[in-house]
Amino acid sequence: METTTPAPRVAPRSFQRAVNWISEVSGWLASTMILGAVLLTCQMIFVRYVLNASTAWQTEVVIYLMIGGTLVGLAFVQKHKGHVNVDLLPLSLGPKAARVLALLTQSIAVLVIGVCLVHGFEFWHLAQSRGWTSDTVTAVPLGIPYLALPVGLGLMLLQLIADLLDTLQGIQASEVD
Amino acid sequence: MDPLLLGALVGVITIVVLFSGISVAIGLLFVSASFLIAFDGLRSLELIPEVLFGKLDSFALLSIPMFIIMGASIASTRAGADLYEALERWLTRVPGGLVISNLGACALFAAMSGSSPATCAAIGKMGIPEMRKRGYPEGIATGSIAAGGTLGILIPPSITMIVYGIATETSIGRLFLAGVIPGLLLVGLFMAWSIYATWASGERAAMARITYSWRERFEIMPRVLPFLAIIVGVLYAMYGGIATPSETAAVGALLCLIVAMIIYKLLKPSALWSVLRDSTKESVMILFIIAAAGVFSYMLSSLFITQSIAAWISELEVNRWVLMGAVNVFLIVAGFFLPPVAVILMKAPILLPVITGAGFDPIWFAVVLTINMEIGLISPPVGLNLYVINGIAPDISLRTILLGSLPFVACMLIAIVLLCLFPGLATWLPNLVMGPAL
Repeated sequence: METTTPAPRVAPRSFQRAVNWISEVSGWLASTMILGAVLLTCQMIFVRYVLNASTAWQTEVVIYLMIGGTLVGLAFVQKHKGHVNVDLLPLSLGPKAARVLALLTQSIAVLVIGVCLVHGFEFWHLAQSRGWTSDTVTAVPLGIPYLALPVGLGLMLLQLIADLLDTLQGIQASEVD
Repeated sequence: MDPLLLGALVGVITIVVLFSGISVAIGLLFVSASFLIAFDGLRSLELIPEVLFGKLDSFALLSIPMFIIMGASIASTRAGADLYEALERWLTRVPGGLVISNLGACALFAAMSGSSPATCAAIGKMGIPEMRKRGYPEGIATGSIAAGGTLGILIPPSITMIVYGIATETSIGRLFLAGVIPGLLLVGLFMAWSIYATWASGERAAMARITYSWRERFEIMPRVLPFLAIIVGVLYAMYGGIATPSETAAVGALLCLIVAMIIYKLLKPSALWSVLRDSTKESVMILFIIAAAGVFSYMLSSLFITQSIAAWISELEVNRWVLMGAVNVFLIVAGFFLPPVAVILMKAPILLPVITGAGFDPIWFAVVLTINMEIGLISPPVGLNLYVINGIAPDISLRTILLGSLPFVACMLIAIVLLCLFPGLATWLPNLVMGPAL
């Protein structure tokens, strides 16, 4: 992604700023969940090996914390351009063609994550409305961990749209110049 | 459509999509979704979130964020510099001088941090200027660090090995052990080449020894030992059968964070946050690729592509070593362009049945595959380590760094040949420690 200086006729970027802020918060949330998974695993080991007691719910909750952290963290990583990519084609193109390609790939990303969001929401809704629980002793109501799908993918979609708008306004700005 | 032809089509389209600059995970999701729609209809998309979630629903995966936190807390401290100094002081009697301690520091730091670029940055920042000051040729100074940094994905604990273990359902403990001897072999080859090349370049004075007193040698140890002790402790707990890799890694992550806070005074909340933030970024990136690659391999098998390729190759009845040669070329080329984790996740499910069908050991193959990925890390066009080195020593041209790295690529190829000739290099240690494989 290229950063371009804003030109006069470009729309204000308050949407992007808001989304960037939300993504930053989701990064905090994701990091907290992953740190929580570390601490909870240590607690589990302490109970099991030091106190010689058995543990029941920890393993499952730790996994859900990790999945939650991953899905909620997607937008944060997207904001920091941390999702690894291979930019062979854009680098071999001229700046104008590279921008068009960026527009295309970003639109595809919006589409793909949008589709995942719709079905992720349906999946969560199904689990929630039918009261699915995990088939372990703990019987975690699956509506809780599955909620990470619509939330995480929704946040990711917002960030992708903000990035797409950035690119669009970058192109506008370069045309104004 | 014939599944094989379809497989070729998927392959070509995946390459084009991934080269477009789209992120690897979303690219894989896009290709998977497109083919699922084309052949199974729109309704097949409903399963994608379930597959995404299901792929991540594994306790073994937890070891990935845990080892990343371990590495990130080590990398955030002065541990790299300390380690570098300690080895310099202790290894002065070994012929070859500085470049040897640099390679040793790379191997140790790479093992501790598990990250190639972090190793290049941490050791290179100290090592490259020092080696140049003492007269080592620029190509050796930069090439040795670039190559030394790649050891992190081979020497345990290695994220790449964990990902392979998860993708192929092989024992992570065995994989870790399998990387030890080949890792040492590579270090040895790298050292041998560095000494020879420095000697041949006529800069023999560079290898002169500087002596340190015993006092100087011992005073640095308290700053190096804690992290080393944690890593050794984590590996010991794993192999002692005391706990699973995920559990030991979680304890290791917590201990490394605590050591970083106490010994390296990483007490500011902002410093801790930056460790957590960096770990979260890397973990999320890798875990998302794992989930997306899960959807990709679900698509491949629901369109019968995986099965047909395996059947087709076994019908070819080629010599198994010709097959292994072809697989290696394929992997090296893939490694030139794609990050190791992506290559493993995309190729391992397809290649593993082929490899085991031809009578190769999956643990041994993991080592060969990893060395192939190491080659990709120091080869253009995406060789990450080359760019990290270029960032540290901007006045050395990328061309010099690249040419300096090439002989180390040759060392890696030699290691692959040696592994083919003596598979025991990879399989002996895991079999010794954990009993013969089933």
